Amino acid sequence: TSGLLPAVLIVGLAFSLVIISYGLDSIVPGVHDAFHDFRHVIGMPCH
Amino acid sequence: MNLTGIDWKRGIVAGLLAGILWGWLAMAVNTVTGVFVSEKALLVNILAFSTGGAVYGVVAGGLLAATHKILPFKSLLLKAVVVSVGLWLVLRIGGVVLSGASPWRYHQELMATLQGFLLSLVMGTLLGALWKKGFN
Repeated sequence: TSGLLPAVLIVGLAFSLVIISYGLDSIVPGVHDAFHDFRHVIGMPCH
Repeated sequence: MNLTGIDWKRGIVAGLLAGILWGWLAMAVNTVTGVFVSEKALLVNILAFSTGGAVYGVVAGGLLAATHKILPFKSLLLKAVVVSVGLWLVLRIGGVVLSGASPWRYHQELMATLQGFLLSLVMGTLLGALWKKGFN
């Protein structure tokens, strides 16, 4: 009677991955500090 | 693209497991290489790497589920590696752009970049191996 929900989940998580990878505190406060070591270890630019 | 014809469950479950495993492995690899000296407590990092790895893994698994039929390679393992490395490269190129725009905020580190690239190869290998297990 149907695909879309998993696709939406993947897109949402892709957005989360961008926020985590760049530590975008302006979107999710505290994410920069929480994933600081993770970003460095996986080779993303960070300060 | 017909979204209902995609085996999302297989990609998401394989990606979730591969991602969590990969997060722990990334911590272990970094401890051995010493590329980045950890600034957080071990428990905090276990949570962060498990979460970050799971997010990366599920996105890679979802992309693999959506594209594995159209990627021009025979080997599923190679397809998983291409998807995983491709995702990492897109993020890294975005990082280069951000670094150019805000150099005081985003610093580039060559050794960390090399380590990240190698880890993305590992993620692809884990994802491909777990995909082959099947989760239907």
